[in-house]
Formats: sequence, C-alpha cells, structure tokens
Amino acid sequence: MTRPPSPPSFTTRSGIPLQASYGPDDVPADHRQVMGTLPGQAPFHRGGFAQGYRTKPWRIFQLSGFGKPEDENERIKFLLEHGETGFLMEHDRNTADHMYNVDHPDVVARREDVGQTGAVMQSVREVAICLDGIPIESTYGHAGGAVVQHAPFALAAYWTVAKRRGIPLETLGGTGQSDFFLTYLGCVTKQQIPTAAGLRLNADIIEFCSEHVPKWVPVSIAGYNGGDTGLNAYQELGAVIANAIEYLDEIKRRGRLDMATAAYRVAGVNFRTTMDIFEDAAKLRAARKAWCTLLRDRYGITDERAQRLRIHIVTAGSMMTYQQPFNNIVRGTLMALSAVLGGTQSLGVSGYDEAISIPSEHAHQMSVRIQQILQHETNLASVADPLGGSYYIEALTAEIEKRAWEFAADIERRGGFLATLDSGWLHGRARDNQVAWQQAENDGRQTVVGVTDFRGNSTPFEVDGFPGVNDAFDVALERLKAVRRERHEAGAHAALKRLEAACRGTDNVMPAMMEALDAEVTLGEVGDLFRDTWGDWQTPELI
Amino acid sequence: MTDAARILLVKTSLDGHWRGLSVVARALRDAGFHVIMGGMLTGAEIVRAAVDEDVDLVGLNVGGHVEVVVRAIGELRTARPELPIFAGGVLPPSSCRRLNAMGVETFPPGSSLDDIVTAARRLTAPVAGA
Repeated sequence: MTRPPSPPSFTTRSGIPLQASYGPDDVPADHRQVMGTLPGQAPFHRGGFAQGYRTKPWRIFQLSGFGKPEDENERIKFLLEHGETGFLMEHDRNTADHMYNVDHPDVVARREDVGQTGAVMQSVREVAICLDGIPIESTYGHAGGAVVQHAPFALAAYWTVAKRRGIPLETLGGTGQSDFFLTYLGCVTKQQIPTAAGLRLNADIIEFCSEHVPKWVPVSIAGYNGGDTGLNAYQELGAVIANAIEYLDEIKRRGRLDMATAAYRVAGVNFRTTMDIFEDAAKLRAARKAWCTLLRDRYGITDERAQRLRIHIVTAGSMMTYQQPFNNIVRGTLMALSAVLGGTQSLGVSGYDEAISIPSEHAHQMSVRIQQILQHETNLASVADPLGGSYYIEALTAEIEKRAWEFAADIERRGGFLATLDSGWLHGRARDNQVAWQQAENDGRQTVVGVTDFRGNSTPFEVDGFPGVNDAFDVALERLKAVRRERHEAGAHAALKRLEAACRGTDNVMPAMMEALDAEVTLGEVGDLFRDTWGDWQTPELI
Repeated sequence: MTDAARILLVKTSLDGHWRGLSVVARALRDAGFHVIMGGMLTGAEIVRAAVDEDVDLVGLNVGGHVEVVVRAIGELRTARPELPIFAGGVLPPSSCRRLNAMGVETFPPGSSLDDIVTAARRLTAPVAGA
C-alpha cells in the first residue's frame, strides 16, 4: 500500500523555515561580521583548529559492551583491531545505572536482562577483566559511568586498574561522562540520587581530575541524550548551554578551581546528528560560537584553549529503522557526513541493527567501515569547514545560535537546568516533539523509507539482532560472592566508612572512592551509601 | 469517560528509555482510553498493579530479554487468565514470533499509532466506551 506523496516540507527538522535559496542579505549583520574568520580563530564556529582533520583525524569511537566483562573485552579488542581509535565501555544498565549488585531483588527478578546492555562490573576485579590486554596507557578510553550516580565508581575503578598497572594518572588520557541528559531526561532509572547531589559529585570529579588526572575529560555533557529523547536541534544546544552554566556556576561558587581550567575541563561535549544533514552541521558550528561567547561574556574567560569547544557525535539511534535495517547503513553514513561537515572531533555511528538489539559484530564493523571510508576515500578530511561561507549554512548557523540562546534563557528564567529537570519542564518539551514527530509519520507528512512508504522488501536476510550471552548473571553472582569471601573485610569496611564521611561532609569524594575501589568495596554498597545519604530523585510525570 | 477501558502500561526491564512508551501512552489517552503508567515492574508487581487498578488490558514495554517478558506473561495469565496483553519496544523478529505464539500481539519500532490504537480497541471490545 502506497500513500499519496507527502506534501513537501520546507522547514528544518526543528521547524526553522527554509527559503528556496540564500544570498548575502540573508546572513544577519552580526554573524556576517565573523563570517570571514578562519578555522582556528575565535569565535571558532569554523572549527577549533586551523589544520582541521589534516593533523588530527576525528576519533573513531564506538559504544560497545555486553555480557560478562570478558565478552566486552573481546568486543573492544575486535573494534580496535578493525580500526577504532578509542573505545567506550558500556556497563550493564540493571546494575550500574541503579548501583545495585546482581543479588538485588529488582535485578534477580530480571536475571536474563543482565548483560543485555553492557557488562556487569561490580568491583575493580571485573573492570580489570574488561580491560585485560588493552593498552590504556596509549589508547583513549571512555570508562563508562554515563549515569550520574555511577560515574565516581566507574572512574575510580578504571583509574585503580591503571594505577595497579603502574600507569601514572598524570599521563592517563580518556573521558568520563556523568551526563544529566541521560540520567534525568533520556533514560530515567528506577532509583537515582537527586540532581543537587549529582551536581556536587560532578564538581568533585572535575576538581579531582584537574589535580590528579589532568589529561582526562572529567565529565561530558551529552546533548545527544536530550536530542534523541525529543529536544530539537536548537533546544538541544540551548539545554547544553544551560547545563554548562550550571556546572561552571557551581565550580565558581566552590571557589577551588580557576575558571579557565574549569571551562577547559567542561569543554568536551556531545551532540547528535540526525538525517537533517545541514541543520545538524550548522548546529555544531553554532555550538562552537555559542561556547566561545558564553565563556567570554559571562565568565570573562579569554583563554583560547578553553574557548575551543571539542565535540563528540553519536548519530541518532532514533533515526535507525527496525524495518529494512540495511537501509540504516546509508542513514549512518549520511548522519556521519553531517558530523564531519560540522567539524566533530570524534564520532560513533549507530549500528544498522540499532532498533532491534545492541550491535552485532557485523553491525559494529560496518559503523567503523563507514567512518574509514569517509576518512580515506572521500577527500572530506582535506579542507576544514567546507561549508563555511555558504549563505545558507551561515544563515542557518546564526538562526540556530539565536534560538539556542533563547531556549537557554527560558531555562534560566525557570530556575536553571537542574530546576527544569526536577520540575519536568524539559521532559514536557521533549515529549511535545516526540508526539508531533510520530504524528507526522503517522499521517503521512514525514516519510521514512521502508516504514511509512516504500515498504516492499525483497531481502533474503532477516536481521534478528544480537542475542548476547546467557551466563552474565550467573557469573556475576559467583564473582560477587568471591569478592565478599576473599577481600580484607575490615579494610573494605573502613574504606566505606571514610567514603560515607566524605559524602556527608564537603570533602571531595574521589580520594575516598579511589580507596574504596582499591579495598574492593562493591557497586551495591556504594549505591546503598548514596541512597542513605541523599535519598531518591522525585521523577517527574513522563506522559 | 467513567466507562473508558483501562490500560496499564509498564516497563518490564530496568532500562529507562521512555520515548516510545510516552508516545504510545499519549496516543491511547487521546483515543479515549484511561491510561495508567505503572513504571518499571517485575512480573509479580505487574500482577498486583493489574488487579489493584482493575484494568482491561496490559501493555508491556520491552527493553530487555524476551525471557523476562515471557515469565511476566505467565504470571499474569495465572492470576488473570482472561486479561488481554500486548507488547511493544525493542523486540527482534524472533521475539515477536515467540510472543505471538503465546497470543500476545507485538508492536516493534516503526509500528503505526493507528494500528496500536486499533488493537487496543479490539482487545478491550467487550468493555463499553473507549
């Protein structure tokens, strides 16, 4: 059944009206003034670095992980062997995101779910297995800890493994995440510490890294998780600005770190690109300009190192279709192109089986190959900001930036980023878009090939997704028992007590967290301590 | 609207992606159903919520392993054999076939809202309203 053709839509995906063509008068005067700057020059909309990808190709950086730590280890090595240039550890949602050990009743009741979304890592032992044989002293790693309450544990575990290998933390490169968008907007857990406690932990991580792990990106604001939950392009950017303001104001209030250093530490952020290729490329250009402006005008920061926003892109998982999944290889390529045209520093391409399961080895391989083809066969990497100077792109960049500032101001009027998460206001904005976009697909205004139209499918291959492994729960339970049996109990107890004192006081929690991990304190014990100390976030109504 | 059919929507896993469920809940509510959001529930908790809320239909949002869903359906069928169930979410084709064979209609990603609303009407047909 084929519907009549959709009426053409002459707006961006975010609803910004589009003209049939653009000329010099369509670029607003204030933006026209900076149009002539080159990549590497403030305000950096044209890119942070004069040489672009010539001297530093974007990092091929795929999220990966499932099952037991050794399963995740094997997949990470597979990706590195195929040409990935950094790796992202994924921890099991049931345990890590909730800070539960596997013997928690809520996990036991769903034992088959365990390991479906990442490896189970309840103690430093399991993180060591996951990292076995991976040269973390020379490979850029994402330690996991995407969810706020899990981040201190995940980082301390990774760093403890590094220390035990004799790697000085001063030399260790990599990134944390601890993302408010994922935690409180996109992927709301059953239990979570309140946003104020999360902000304190993130400030602790930022300050600890500045002193002890200076090459590490301590936290990474992930607009992706707002975007793929429903915020449109300029809302995503506006909310990222509002989030950065919340972090920087907190660091300023604490007064322990100079603001240029703090801003540099917070300047590694993430966005998504969608199938609106030019809107999202323009969004990245607008983001760099807005970041530079924010630091200069609000905080008086003139350090250019801090003013250069560094961007990681994940292509939108929500654009990947369940139907005719091989079409997603094309979608992944186009969304990756958008990211590269926008000047991203690193990139993860969602798997073609994204709507069906976590990635199979083959889907993962294709995500890496897409990036390699773009890097090596297309000449895309030779010239920085190839879209610069296009009347259309410059006008769109200016418009997205303007709307993003308006959205950020709206959030500030409502009490700030944390307040709009607590009240559910941001969830409401995301939900309105979710419903509108789904309705547009439902009534024929938005075509999705293979889903709303062109549904005939002659492929002989059924993609049934990646099943994972079936022994993650049992092995994790045995390992938990072994830790409890074999660790120095008094030492673990004392370390947990010191961690509790840090949490209840104002000292940075990270030194005590490092001691706790070294003493083999487990995930669930830290989770219980957090819950006792800070209680549970009141989740806003989600429909 | 007092006689609107009552639908309990729950997540069977601890995975918090709520976008799909939110859109479906809105569509069902707009179509006149009384929608009750149950949150992340285990099989036993789903049974309790279904009985307490006296619902006419249960919708399972899947973000994990199909075995967890199969077990929840078993518990519901034991407690309330007549209660219809449908399921949506991240369901590979083989999982859909497994649930379909148990008499549970499935709506994987890309399903149309019209089809979901139509199924809800059919499954709650003995009840007036909606």
